[in-house]
Amino acid sequence: MSDATTRRWLPQFCSLPTLFAVMVVAELVALIIVLAPDQHARPWLSRLGVTTVYVQWLALLNAVVLCSMRQPLERLSARAGFVLAWVLSVAATALGSAVVSQMDQALGLGLTVPAGESERFVLGNAAIAALISAALLRYLFVLEQWRERVSAASKAQVDALQARIRPHFLFNSMNTIASLIRTRPAEAEQTVEDLADLFRAALGSGDAPGTLGEELDLMDHYLRIEKLRLGERLRVDIDVAELPRDLPLPRLLLQPLVENAIYHGIQPLADGGTIQVVGRHAPGHIEIAIRNPVPPDAAPARNGLALANIRARIEYHFGTRGELRVEPGGGEYAVTVRLPDASPDR
Amino acid sequence: MRALIVDDEPLARERLAALLAEIEGVELAGEASTGFDALEAAARLKPELVLLDIRMPVMDGLEAARHLDALETPPAVIFCTAYQDHALAAFDANAVDYLVKPIRVERLRAAIGKAQRLSGSTVRRLENAAEPGRRRSHLCARVRGSLVLVAVADIDYLLAEDKYVVVHHAKGEVLIEEPLTALEEEFAGRFVRIHRNCLVALAKLSGLERTPDGRVLARIAGVGVPLEVSRRNLPALRKLVRTL
Repeated sequence: MSDATTRRWLPQFCSLPTLFAVMVVAELVALIIVLAPDQHARPWLSRLGVTTVYVQWLALLNAVVLCSMRQPLERLSARAGFVLAWVLSVAATALGSAVVSQMDQALGLGLTVPAGESERFVLGNAAIAALISAALLRYLFVLEQWRERVSAASKAQVDALQARIRPHFLFNSMNTIASLIRTRPAEAEQTVEDLADLFRAALGSGDAPGTLGEELDLMDHYLRIEKLRLGERLRVDIDVAELPRDLPLPRLLLQPLVENAIYHGIQPLADGGTIQVVGRHAPGHIEIAIRNPVPPDAAPARNGLALANIRARIEYHFGTRGELRVEPGGGEYAVTVRLPDASPDR
Repeated sequence: MRALIVDDEPLARERLAALLAEIEGVELAGEASTGFDALEAAARLKPELVLLDIRMPVMDGLEAARHLDALETPPAVIFCTAYQDHALAAFDANAVDYLVKPIRVERLRAAIGKAQRLSGSTVRRLENAAEPGRRRSHLCARVRGSLVLVAVADIDYLLAEDKYVVVHHAKGEVLIEEPLTALEEEFAGRFVRIHRNCLVALAKLSGLERTPDGRVLARIAGVGVPLEVSRRNLPALRKLVRTL
């Protein structure tokens, strides 16, 4: 789940804007090196020239290495990719420094360090590269995560604006009510009330979060309407007594899962079946599992859209502490939602 | 006019029956809850009109309408639906009458007034427009005036003979009047051609064998006699069997 969102954190080092940024950072490093108080015979301008050429060359070397390694790096997890990129950068710098210092001594230019001190030169450069690339990579990583968050937040807002209740459901319910009014007015009245609650949640959710208790009630109301419509075909087995009802929860997080269970599980079956909802409360988290039978020839992953929507919202609200698991197979379909329970008194 | 109500939701049937009671000259012949049951009820009750819900388990309304056309005296059909966004456009384009739920009694009365029987080809156009590439769940044959439905999943193989196709299935065989090529096209991936006149269910194909005189035969699970594979279809079939 987190792979998709954190995979593209490494920028294109071969692109011009990134190359420019790398060169600016390299020039800053060169300036710092030159400005650092030290006893040097040569004038600072000449030192800046030599240091600039050298540091820029190392920076470009790093950029080329990271650019060519981009694909394998992104295939790793974010953490492993980060570490490997950092190691690559340090290694490239150390190797480059060793080559430069060898060449310098062979040519006798005396631009780097006196003979015999090349080890210190290589290690020093590697250490500088280690510090700077760690800071830079971390910065890029955080930047990319921030971008991801911003886009997820706006997506979650857009999603919240759309009523996720199927239009089919509205019209079927209206039909149910029309038919109940003649024969069973009391049930018709209750269905109107249930329907109103559902659409209040779907249309007016906005930013205000609800509670788990409210969501469970909503699920009950939804199932009550569908039970009227499907009659004997829909059987419900709910066991959620141990769930904390006051847990804050985004609205309409569970109801769409039950709706999926009916549309893809119960409705296509001539004899219907049982929807099972089981809630478990453990220290630090809750788990809610929704199971339903599916027709044997059901196309897999038909309800991917609704699931992706809920998954995105769980990730947006709970980060990696929440998850949604799907277990199809054996004529049955099970979705499990796991959410953190942060309250300290439980 | 005698009408059959077909809907999988009991309350929807109840309401439709109440509406029909308000319309003069229409009498309720019976009710059914799936397309499959509807065909059986239609053959038994011989209604002049069928009010057909579209979304139903086992067999949906569109497929049921197509099979209804095979009856000796096909009834007029009015489709009922809750909401089908783009599918409704298919109905408009083919000038087929449909009612949206909750149904108004005036609309129902008007629809019954001009209700007509749907030819199979109209329904096929409808099916294609609403959902391209859809397949029937059953094949329909007429045996001595009544309809016999064979679930496609139960079919072992299809053998063309003259202008008929013999459907060999788990419980026997029936004749249908459809070209083999059309069946091959509709159920591509489910049946494989082994001979100019024969399609075999891929799931039932259990292997190939060679006779002493050099012919190749296909073995089919649950069928005693192996079927001859033509020279022309052999290479493709070999490849397919290897991937099974």
